[in-house]
Amino acid sequence: MTEPGRRAARTLRDLGLTAGMLAAAAGLCFLLGQVDHVAHSDAYVSMLFILAVFLTARFTSGYAWGIGAALVSVLLVNFFFTYPYFAFNFLLPGYPITVACMLAVSLLTSAMTTRIKQVEQLRGEAAREKMRGNLLRAVSHDFRTPLTAIMGANSTLAESSAQLTPEERARLHRNIAEDAQWLLRMVENLLTVTRIREETGGGVEKTPQLPEEVVAEAVDKFHRHYPEREVTVSVPETAELCPMDPMLVEQVLLNLMENAVIHGGAVRRIALTVSAAADEMRFCVEDDGGGVSREQLRHFFEDRAPAGTGDGRRNMGIGLSVCQAIVAAHGGRMWAEHAQGGGLAVSFALPMKGEEA
Amino acid sequence: MSTPEHILVVEDEANIAGFITTILKTNGYDVLRADNGKQALMCITSYCPDAVILDLGLPDMDGQQVIRTVREWSPVPIIVVSARTHERDKVTALDGGADDYMTKPFSAGELLARLRTALRHARGREGGAETPQGSFRCGALTLDYAKRRVSLNGENIHLTQIEYRIIELLSRFSGRVLTYDYIIKQVWGPNAAFDNQILRVNMANIRRKIEANPAAPRYISTEVGVGYMMAEGE
Repeated sequence: MTEPGRRAARTLRDLGLTAGMLAAAAGLCFLLGQVDHVAHSDAYVSMLFILAVFLTARFTSGYAWGIGAALVSVLLVNFFFTYPYFAFNFLLPGYPITVACMLAVSLLTSAMTTRIKQVEQLRGEAAREKMRGNLLRAVSHDFRTPLTAIMGANSTLAESSAQLTPEERARLHRNIAEDAQWLLRMVENLLTVTRIREETGGGVEKTPQLPEEVVAEAVDKFHRHYPEREVTVSVPETAELCPMDPMLVEQVLLNLMENAVIHGGAVRRIALTVSAAADEMRFCVEDDGGGVSREQLRHFFEDRAPAGTGDGRRNMGIGLSVCQAIVAAHGGRMWAEHAQGGGLAVSFALPMKGEEA
Repeated sequence: MSTPEHILVVEDEANIAGFITTILKTNGYDVLRADNGKQALMCITSYCPDAVILDLGLPDMDGQQVIRTVREWSPVPIIVVSARTHERDKVTALDGGADDYMTKPFSAGELLARLRTALRHARGREGGAETPQGSFRCGALTLDYAKRRVSLNGENIHLTQIEYRIIELLSRFSGRVLTYDYIIKQVWGPNAAFDNQILRVNMANIRRKIEANPAAPRYISTEVGVGYMMAEGE
């Protein structure tokens, strides 16, 4: 939705809310007036209207609606519920105090509400800032290890090439290539994260896509890194379009397949299944490796291996966090379970509808 | 090969230009170098290279501008090599007239393969093969242009008019990525104004008719967000 459109929708909502509150208060006062005709105490009238003003100020945005509600309330009370009924009389004793009270309630509530919203926003920003910091720390830490290996191997090759056997030289070259590949994959993951934030401020740019095309490209890229692994793919019989950012979803599939190979333990075969449910498109990456324990499964998506613990650079922290961030930005969900053959099955589902995530 | 083919490398990063030059020279190509857009345009005018390898991020002008300028007067194959990974940049470059688009980093093998494809296509164009020869073959798939027939393992495949035109177009440019926009304009006419969903649905149907597994296509591959490519014919 566009920005002016959103603003119009909010104005409409606020207007409805304000009118509804006041109408409810007035209606209730009329009803109560009918019920206790005899006592005819007006005590509840002011109370109900103050409550209406309070609620209006709390749930609408800005000050204007609350103040408007307060003024209208004063007029309504004056016209309908104070003697002389169905006529204005601004000379009642204590009238200025009623007006002042209504206005004060509305102003104070609006101010408080605005403050609450600001605090919530600040808290959100702080959380994002913290996440970014954690990510940067994890990245810097993770990058240093392969860089050290590359620089070491390279300087060995440059300085003492003559003393090395051809096998040793080949091994060093291979190591450099492997570490560079790993760095590249990391960088690609980080790039996708910037894609979430940059373009849409937290959401993603969704276009209707055929899952089979995205899956095919992900498998193709996977095979370039791991040509010897077998991947079986199955997609729905009928071609159904699902709204998504295809590059991001491709990255999720790639990460899940790579995770299966790197952490799955003796994975030979990966099964990638896409199935359409009523209101979501499900993707499942299943391996035939060693699987995980029940305990590990329970903590599968929790913050794992924060920077500084363990020296193993091949933790799946970044890859999996990126997957989660991407799926969340699509308004989808993600889960892990034991696969039938004993391996691990990680799935995610994207909503079929809903341009506004 | 009698005379070596001349390749112009337009790249401002000395290390990358050096690495590309080394690969090309060791594989028998003659290499020219340009560090910026102006120099590149001048080299193309005065030396008429057989192919251009172009980086998009040049110091003096955008590589996309170089592509558009060159295309005003020269059909020289242009292979874009760029660190920009967004589909938008690929689509702009391909629609602007680039023959191929590679994302950095890439391997030597990939670069050479793409260069060979681009050079072969250029030779094909010169030989007047723009109008298709009698048929196209790729694996078990055969297109008979005269009869407008597609067969797989000798068996006739029933395609709709639109499906046939899409597959024919892709086969004529096999080995090259055609953008959604280009395909739509060629198949539905230059005034076709709709998003690519209809094309995608048609492609899904084609895939279900010619591919054993639509998620592991053998003949028509997808460049997600960019377009489609038919595997090279034999």
